Amino acid sequence: MATLNIHNLGQIKEASLSFGDLTVLVGPQATGKSIALQLLKLMVDAGQVQREMRLYGLDWSRELPRFLDIYFGEGMRSIWREGESRIEWSGKSVDLPQIAARNRKGKEESLFFIPAQRVLALRDGWPRRFTDYTPGDPFAVREFSERLRVLVEQEFGASGDLFPQERRLKKEFRDLLQEHMFSNYHLKVDKFRSQKRLVLGAGRDAEPLPYMVWSAGQREFVPLLLGVYWLMPPTAVATRGDIRWVVLEELEMGLHPRAISVVLLLVFELMKRGYRVCISTHSPQVLDAVWALKHLRENHAGAEALLNIFEASNSPPMQLLANTVMEKTVKVHYFNRETSRTSDISDLDLSSESAGEADWGGLSEFSGRANEAVARAVANSGRQGDS
Amino acid sequence: MTFKEAVEQTANLAGTWEKGLEALRAEDKPHIKAEDTRKLTGSADVDKALREVEPNAHRWDFAIGYQHSNRTKESIYWVEIHTASDSQVSVVLKKLLWLKVWLAGDGVQLAKFERDFVWVSRGTTSFTRTSPQQKQFALLGLQHKGRVLRIPNKRAD
Repeated sequence: MATLNIHNLGQIKEASLSFGDLTVLVGPQATGKSIALQLLKLMVDAGQVQREMRLYGLDWSRELPRFLDIYFGEGMRSIWREGESRIEWSGKSVDLPQIAARNRKGKEESLFFIPAQRVLALRDGWPRRFTDYTPGDPFAVREFSERLRVLVEQEFGASGDLFPQERRLKKEFRDLLQEHMFSNYHLKVDKFRSQKRLVLGAGRDAEPLPYMVWSAGQREFVPLLLGVYWLMPPTAVATRGDIRWVVLEELEMGLHPRAISVVLLLVFELMKRGYRVCISTHSPQVLDAVWALKHLRENHAGAEALLNIFEASNSPPMQLLANTVMEKTVKVHYFNRETSRTSDISDLDLSSESAGEADWGGLSEFSGRANEAVARAVANSGRQGDS
Repeated sequence: MTFKEAVEQTANLAGTWEKGLEALRAEDKPHIKAEDTRKLTGSADVDKALREVEPNAHRWDFAIGYQHSNRTKESIYWVEIHTASDSQVSVVLKKLLWLKVWLAGDGVQLAKFERDFVWVSRGTTSFTRTSPQQKQFALLGLQHKGRVLRIPNKRAD
């Protein structure tokens, strides 16, 4: 099992992460989840990252501080503390200054990163180029944006529908997305005064809806959908290139719980195709799903039980998806702000004495307090005090 | 009136008051953790005390007294230590109903204390904190805890 141990990096004092087929990171804002995920990308893809940086004219003079500012984003050089910061990847010590100092040979990309800032990948409804960003913008955002540009220009260059598309996604997914995300609209390439752009259209004759009038959820979801298209090419091969890992930050961003359910099913599809998926989340719904998966598996439930949670069809392809996912390993790690350390809460034990595990890294803490306050008020309502 | 006095003046409970958590069975004691054990004002095994007079009733388990730092009077934690699975929900809710009826009758002296009705899990729990079930418990005045009830020094207002 791949592991990543981080000591004294940014706000992380001690993180010990083991990765399953699905790995979920939870914890309050600014506890180091994103740093950990970007670091994972660097561990897996250092050569490819450097190759891309050089390709786009980024020069860090083989110095770690400059490299960190380019890779993690402006000002992030401060996360590395000389003599204190340490990293181990799958049991081996990693010399980050050495990674920055050496010109590593670039291999193909192994980890595809869908960043939390994915909404920035589209400008006026069209994916931005890598060089369309400032050098201080995080590498993950720039690279993701560039991938979408290549996808849309090379695979959907001519005008036409991006969604729904028969050769992209299973019919069951398309139906769910149509219902919970796009209503009756189609996502398509359109031209406005010679400028290509993505629009939502209700029909051939209906006026297209440009990017700026989409709902917040649609603006968040479309870059994610394009990322999923990148990972699920319409070919006999289930995966793209050498990619084996997928990072998806905050999958729930801007989405209604029903739409989150569909995104979770898409995550399952990625797992079924053999990708190892790592996600960060602030949504208790994600842990509800992981918790259900664990207990359905332990109780030998069938595929239908899992699919029912997602209101998904019980068709043979979806049964295969559910059965495959039930066999996968899932790890959950909690980034604790108070201790600046992580803990493995994969058991999601609701009775755990550890508050971090029982309230799922704080995601159900508020619900717990609300329940307690109401229960106490009800228990004492109308009670006559001692006279 | 103190918790101890109220227990002594309650039909069928007289003589059952014990100091600290002594009224609890040995296997149940680890389920209760008080921030300051000196503030525990005693306990009573309600289930055992009423077994003879109400053998077929769904009796509640224990009453535990605690003197919170921000209260002038003691509070009572009415604790049921029970398996927390879907199949046991109806059993525990029957016990809660029994407790409420009993508090309105024989247990009226004990009903005067500020209180929490708490279901502590024996073993694992099968309902999540965000579940509608937990909200239904809350509307009945019931708090569902994990394996351990932690009693803080300062009571939440």
